[in-house]
Amino acid sequence: MDRHGPENLRELLGRFFDAGQAESCLDDFQEAERLLRQDPAPEPDEMLIANIKAEIAMRLPVVRAETFRRRLWEMAGIAAAIAVLTLVGVRLSHDPVRQTGYYASLIPTAIWESTNIAADDADLALFTTEIEQIKDEMLALESGRDAGDSDGSVAELEMELIQISSDFWKG
Amino acid sequence: MVQGDDLARIIAGCKSGDAQCFSRVVDMYSSRCYGYFYRSTGNKDISDELLSELFVKLVEKIGSYKGGSFESWLFRIASNIFHDHLRSKQRRKKLLENRQEQAESEIPEPRQSDGELVDRLQSQLGRLDKETRELIMLRYYSQLSFKEMAQMRSEPIGTTLAKMHRGLKKLRLLMEG
Repeated sequence: MDRHGPENLRELLGRFFDAGQAESCLDDFQEAERLLRQDPAPEPDEMLIANIKAEIAMRLPVVRAETFRRRLWEMAGIAAAIAVLTLVGVRLSHDPVRQTGYYASLIPTAIWESTNIAADDADLALFTTEIEQIKDEMLALESGRDAGDSDGSVAELEMELIQISSDFWKG
Repeated sequence: MVQGDDLARIIAGCKSGDAQCFSRVVDMYSSRCYGYFYRSTGNKDISDELLSELFVKLVEKIGSYKGGSFESWLFRIASNIFHDHLRSKQRRKKLLENRQEQAESEIPEPRQSDGELVDRLQSQLGRLDKETRELIMLRYYSQLSFKEMAQMRSEPIGTTLAKMHRGLKKLRLLMEG
């Protein structure tokens, strides 16, 4: 019984002792192992081995049930973690704070901070109507439906846009 | 000796609760583990108990084996069982001392079961301290490398080597004396 893995004992001893000591140590190790081999320990009784195997067979159903329960709990834990992560993900994607931030960048501060909801609604309705009107005019220009002077129409449209933007951001 | 893939298959079978695979493991390791217990305790009856306990623990703990050296893992359990046995023995000894003021020698001779003959090696092993005796037996029967043994004992490899060398040298002197 001298397998002891792939280690090189001489090399290992050489790391801790000088060459002479390492050789002496190696000699002690080998001699002691020879003595141990000379007097092997008794073998376990066959009856003992049979009893051990019987006990294992008796315990296995209990162990299997415990393993099943543990796996069930692990799976339940994983499922719960996935559910929590999904919920957090869904909440984040519909986060009202984030969405508020998004709209705040488009809506003028004056309207945003205003408490006069009726007036703000009217302004927004006007703003929306004007945008729709500009959109229609743009489409007409693009499709060549505008019969008048094209350069004049574009200049007029630009002026109109500047005016709307200026009025709107003033609130 | 079953090695590599075969051992991995047997252990996988054990993990899935296959009684035949556990039987194979018992056949493969009972002799060495028994030798370790017997030489460490010097008592056949106690070795029988400890061997049974080891394989029961194996069944209970096989799920926690995550790869690496199976022998190292198994003998770590065996070593823990042996140390638990020593601790309970110490407790019993203290109880006895309190009750009977029974003086026991510092290095007790191994107690044998009825009719059991003590071989010379066992007698001399009984003259070593328990820790050294267990270390030598762990090395001899587990066939672990010093690196694995040092890891198991959570001590530097040089310490394990030095303890082992002192122990083996003493054992050699005792056997030759």
